[in-house]
Amino acid sequence: MELFFMSLTTGIMVGGIYALVALGWVLIYKCSGVLNLAMGELTLVGAYVTYTFYTIGVPFVPAVLLTLLVGIILGFLTERIFLDKLIGEPILAVIMVTVGISFFLKGLIGYIWGSDTRVFTPPVFDIKPITVGLLKISPVYLWSFILSIILLIVFVAFFKYTRWGLSMQATADDETAALSLGVSARFVYASAWAIAFMSAGVGGALLGNINGINISVGHLGLLVLPAVVLGGLNSVPGAIVGGIMIGLLQNFSGTYLDQYFPGGVKEIVPFAFMAVFLLFKPYGLWGWERIERV
Amino acid sequence: MSSVWLPCGDYHQNYAEDQGWWQTNFLKGKMILLLAVVFIGIPLFVDEYWISVGTMIGYTAMGALGVQLLIGYAGLLTLGHAAFIAVGAYTSVMLILQFPWPQFLLDWGLAYPISVFIAGIVAGLWSVLFGLPSAKVKGFYLILTTMAAQFITVDFILTQYISQIGGRGQAFSLPPGTIKIGPWVIENDTQVYFVMAVVLTLMVIVLANLLRSKPGRAWVAIRDNDIAAEALGINIVWYKLLAFFVAGFMAGIAGAFWVCNTAALSPEHFQWFLSLWLVGVILIGGVGSIQGAIFGSIFMVVVMELLQTGAIPLAEYYPKILVDFAYIKDMAFGLAICAFLIYEPNGLAYRWWQAKNYFNLWPFSY
Repeated sequence: MELFFMSLTTGIMVGGIYALVALGWVLIYKCSGVLNLAMGELTLVGAYVTYTFYTIGVPFVPAVLLTLLVGIILGFLTERIFLDKLIGEPILAVIMVTVGISFFLKGLIGYIWGSDTRVFTPPVFDIKPITVGLLKISPVYLWSFILSIILLIVFVAFFKYTRWGLSMQATADDETAALSLGVSARFVYASAWAIAFMSAGVGGALLGNINGINISVGHLGLLVLPAVVLGGLNSVPGAIVGGIMIGLLQNFSGTYLDQYFPGGVKEIVPFAFMAVFLLFKPYGLWGWERIERV
Repeated sequence: MSSVWLPCGDYHQNYAEDQGWWQTNFLKGKMILLLAVVFIGIPLFVDEYWISVGTMIGYTAMGALGVQLLIGYAGLLTLGHAAFIAVGAYTSVMLILQFPWPQFLLDWGLAYPISVFIAGIVAGLWSVLFGLPSAKVKGFYLILTTMAAQFITVDFILTQYISQIGGRGQAFSLPPGTIKIGPWVIENDTQVYFVMAVVLTLMVIVLANLLRSKPGRAWVAIRDNDIAAEALGINIVWYKLLAFFVAGFMAGIAGAFWVCNTAALSPEHFQWFLSLWLVGVILIGGVGSIQGAIFGSIFMVVVMELLQTGAIPLAEYYPKILVDFAYIKDMAFGLAICAFLIYEPNGLAYRWWQAKNYFNLWPFSY
């Protein structure tokens, strides 16, 4: 039973980080219709940038804030350089450009930081687990969860209540109408990418605290794809629920299935589950069903 | 409409003529010349290193042809093709190493060819299994299910289970002299090159013939508008699965071919990178044309080789360049895809077509 609660809490907490990254993905898709396969590398960039700031002596929280700033700049740059010219192109072209971006970023990261696993030294969070009743939670998970929840609330509030957020919503809803109301669509796309970079960056920084930073953090970032598919591609609450569900699924399968299928079942289950899930509910839990006509 | 320029006054009377392979004698001569260059010219006059580059091009093209069929002709987006190549390679190796072959088959050198064929079938069926969701989903969702195929097959089943069979550890190595086709033992680069050239030529012929017959037209109809295709009476699920089978079969053959080129087989060769690489190859070469797959393979492999050749003199000053060459390769590949998609979305095959048109009327283009 203890094992069950352990997996439950860890799952929810890691799921919080996935939810944060998934939110960035959904925002891009909602605003500009771009299906982004570079999310794994965006997470990696965030992790390494935070790590670099941390090693040169910036405390963790300011380092994360600086990462947000770098994320904004990179997001705007990416949109301007690569995606601006592709509005209205077929879906494969846009997806493959994000794949191209992901290769470029992966190569760049590998060239700059190498392939060794980097660990935050000194450790940011206490290693000793906190005991709450039956549960033992290591502080990394707890703080990551709290930080990602705070950021989630900030992003959702930004999306709901500020002028920028409203213009993003308007563009997502109907681009032409938004344009005629004086919303700059290009700016909106760029800010969607900036938000994606920021949320993936923070997600990467947090994930990097759990197991150290190497290329596999990028693989964790790819897990947002099952998450968004579960929730529905264009639903913000769906991204959050999907992220937490993937976290749970991953940890439960790691706990209970690993003895039957040794080795790496944890990484595969979300994808296998997603493939089966798509057969039954292709539009996810809250996605818009698309009606097609000839 | 005919796809080639015909001499003035030469008209096609029926569909069969229109789809014919040798529409003019010039074309026929050109293709024979091409075959002569591939089979005689290159092995005679090119040194060993560039022959192995040629083999690499051929291998890439074999994989890319399957991707081209799925993406370019049937409109089924796939990002997991390396999984099926891996299935083919592993089936072939397992058959050669583990199957109790009767002695006469070994003597006649039939073990490897038979294993190649079975590898194709197994990979095709495996591909159909992961193509099943295509009955219900398409576009981005299909990308996700093929990605799932990649991770489940290569990172899980092959790495964790298949690689452990026979207690050989992570890499399967074939003892020299095992790969024998008929009387010939495939040992050096030139022989591998000939195997590649034969297999690739056969593949191109089969694919081109499929594409100009009923399945090919059905695939193109599904690609252009699947609902309209269904309304026209095309069984879209059947044809989509057929596309997956054919593409998987080709991938399996490509993988089984790769066995004779590599000393040791490990799941490292079939990571997600390879799947993305193959899609990148057809994007650069041109989506929706067989030539595109070939041009793309030539371009990508040769550019990467040239990058490496160029990096060697630079490495004297910046030793890091050669050490981290894999990363530079990633960056170059990423930038190449982006640049082609932004500036030349039609790919190299379109450029080739334009050049041909230009020279067709040259020098009196008015």
